[in-house]
Amino acid sequence: MKPNLNTKSENTWCPGCPNHMILESVKQTIVKLIQSGKHKQTDFAITTDIGCHAKIFDYLNLSGINCLHGRAIPTAIGIKMGNPNLKVLTFAGDGAVYAEGISHFIHAFKYNADMTLILHDNQSFSLTTGQPTPTSQRGYISKSAPLGVFDKPMNPIKLALASNATFIARTNARDVPHMVETFTKAIAHKGFSFVEVIQDCLIFNPDANNKDKQMYKIKTNTNKKIAEKLADEFDYNSKRGKISLGIIYQSKEPTPEKKWPQLSELLRSKKLWRDK
Amino acid sequence: MRLNIIIGGKAGQGINKVSQIVSNVLVGYGYFTFNYRDYQSLIRGGHNFNTLSISDVQIESHEARADILIALDERTIKTHRQALKKNGLIITADEFKNEGRNINISLAGALIKIFGIPLVELEKEIKSQFKEFDKAIISAKKGYDSQKIIHQLKKLNNKPSILSGSQAIAIGAKNSGLDLYIAYPMTPATNAMNELAKDQVENKLMVFQAENEIAAANMALGASFAGAKTMTGTSGGGFDLMGETFSLQGISEIPLTVYLASRPGPGTGVPTYTAQSDLNVALRAGHGEFPRVVVAPGNPTETIEKTSEALYLAEKFRTLSIILSDKHLAESEFSSVESSNKTPKFKIIRKIPGKNLVKNSSYETDKFGNSTESYRLTTENANRRLAKYATLKDFIKDKFEMIKIHGNEKSKNLIVGWGSTSGVIKDVIKDLDAKFLQVLYMKPLSNRIKKELQEADNVILVECNLTGQLGRLIREKTGIKIENRLLKYNGRPFHTDELKNLIEGMI
Ligand SMILES: Cc1ncc(C[n+]2csc(CCOP(=O)(O)OP(=O)(O)O)c2C)c(N)n1
Ligand code: SF4
Repeated sequence: MKPNLNTKSENTWCPGCPNHMILESVKQTIVKLIQSGKHKQTDFAITTDIGCHAKIFDYLNLSGINCLHGRAIPTAIGIKMGNPNLKVLTFAGDGAVYAEGISHFIHAFKYNADMTLILHDNQSFSLTTGQPTPTSQRGYISKSAPLGVFDKPMNPIKLALASNATFIARTNARDVPHMVETFTKAIAHKGFSFVEVIQDCLIFNPDANNKDKQMYKIKTNTNKKIAEKLADEFDYNSKRGKISLGIIYQSKEPTPEKKWPQLSELLRSKKLWRDK
Repeated sequence: MRLNIIIGGKAGQGINKVSQIVSNVLVGYGYFTFNYRDYQSLIRGGHNFNTLSISDVQIESHEARADILIALDERTIKTHRQALKKNGLIITADEFKNEGRNINISLAGALIKIFGIPLVELEKEIKSQFKEFDKAIISAKKGYDSQKIIHQLKKLNNKPSILSGSQAIAIGAKNSGLDLYIAYPMTPATNAMNELAKDQVENKLMVFQAENEIAAANMALGASFAGAKTMTGTSGGGFDLMGETFSLQGISEIPLTVYLASRPGPGTGVPTYTAQSDLNVALRAGHGEFPRVVVAPGNPTETIEKTSEALYLAEKFRTLSIILSDKHLAESEFSSVESSNKTPKFKIIRKIPGKNLVKNSSYETDKFGNSTESYRLTTENANRRLAKYATLKDFIKDKFEMIKIHGNEKSKNLIVGWGSTSGVIKDVIKDLDAKFLQVLYMKPLSNRIKKELQEADNVILVECNLTGQLGRLIREKTGIKIENRLLKYNGRPFHTDELKNLIEGMI
């Protein structure tokens, strides 16, 4: 039987918003994982941030917390400490993670909890009507910044690499099969897996949209030097530059669930803290 | 009987070792000790001192005037000479220069002789503390032989044990089966974290240092959601950072217990000193309107009990529980023969991920846990939170001690106080016509407080803060303004002799 991941909540994303396709890809990924018999529906726990992206919380029939703005990552890490046997996924935006919660992003790579971050990057604070985020391109004009953004955008892939990420992937919110493939690999990765989803917002920052022509797919890369080159190809600013999709970098590092004796014991015995 | 010893020196010279050895010997000899630690925010140098108070009855405070001054450096003599009583004695570390690292053991030996306690008692203590004790015992004897008996103490039958407020937090948490303590270091909360971290694997719990207090609080909430008994702890600044998460607790109703150990603010204030100035923020941190428990123990025994109650209430009512302490309670060493009440045991039986589908949210939610903007549900949920607080209040009233009355119950002189100030008030009123109303639960506040205030002729509020925060809270809840106030806010707690003079002048 196909597990039911649907909810009764009314979907309030704009018609045509690529968030609909992210939702579809997440459902396909998780349905497959459940149908493979590896996981039960109740094994998953999600955290979502605050923003357009976070509405995904209401549209997925999975356990989880709809968190505070910027704090979906530490809350997820806490869930994983509270029960290392859960499959934990976080959904967050570029405003949420690269602005409000940036410290947690960097530390998440250092701690390397076995969980997945799916980041909907639309280069805009959309739910709050289009203010610039750290990945908005230079010159982006919005109501709160009528003079335009003066700074060069942040390159989150480079930041992740510098933070010793063990899994960095990029995918396209208009490409469901590629998202499903990437999410599946991210969830399978042992450690903190970071997937950046390039997601157009149809309402705000349209200049940042339609990057499909720049995109190309790569094979899984495990070489740090090559990863740095791939990260450098696109600076989140210009209309030029190639945007690699796929696993930009993957490496093996022990996870805290193995290193902390308390957590590894819960993992080994499949026990809860309360049964310790 | 009461003796007061000031032991001073530079940070790193080992003044704590002197008071620790002496306290242990005294306690073993049946005496009660109270050790106040006054230290600066530096690692080496400066001027630190302990005031070790000794009595044949239980005490929870120290005096300003000293019978003996132990000086590990010159500055100690300069700073504390005027506090020495007439005929007071000064012992300097200079006398034991040749003992090297063991100077503090010689000083302990000197004190033990002054009290007329047999040398073997000290030797026993040293052997229990050091693996290589031969040299230490020689140094102890040097100190011992250098003095004459001045205050002959006879052996008593009491069997007190020594605890700090920080150790008590850890004991209370372990009694309740704590699984996770997630925090970021901040004096004076850190010692509780250290205590829990010590034998974490053996105790089947985990202590995790997050990247900041915001992360700590949100991780704690996540872990609690997943079904672990979880606690976080911090001081005022970190508590401010956690405010938004408290508010998330309020709406998501994921149980959360927070240990707040205060120090003088605003800002970084005087970071290694004490104050009771965070009652307001404990009562109000976090936007929106939601229930919470704020409980303020006054000594380690109460801290053990109230920590367990806080954890119990957080889980039972899926609420925010705040244990409010401060530097004076957290870091002073108390000795006591009291045993704590039975721990209210509990198991997590709510729905948890892994077993069930469970959704909690920072949004107002419908019955599935999904976001809603319905005016009907918004009202219903708010009403439910209010009703929960009413149930919680009734429950606490029936089950737990919300206030305590000490001293002469018939007296018309009523002292009102709370937290770490309770100890000194209890000691002061021993020889006065006064009764002391100690408030333990700040939220909910006991209905009995109003009656007590109405029955008294003379009410005096004693707090270590600038604005009389408990007094204001009581006025808010009862309409009664306490006019007589003794407020101290220089970072130092009240001394027994100091407070006694002040109160005597008012009754
Ligand atoms: C502490 C806090 N600050 C600000 C906000 C307002 N806020 C809500 S969503 C949001 C930005 C969302 O941007 P992003 O994470 O990029 O998500 P998107 O809406 O673009 O999907 C902000 C600033 C908030 N909810 N909480
Ligand atoms: S505002 Fe943009 S991101 Fe938000 S739902 Fe509409 S299209 Fe999607």
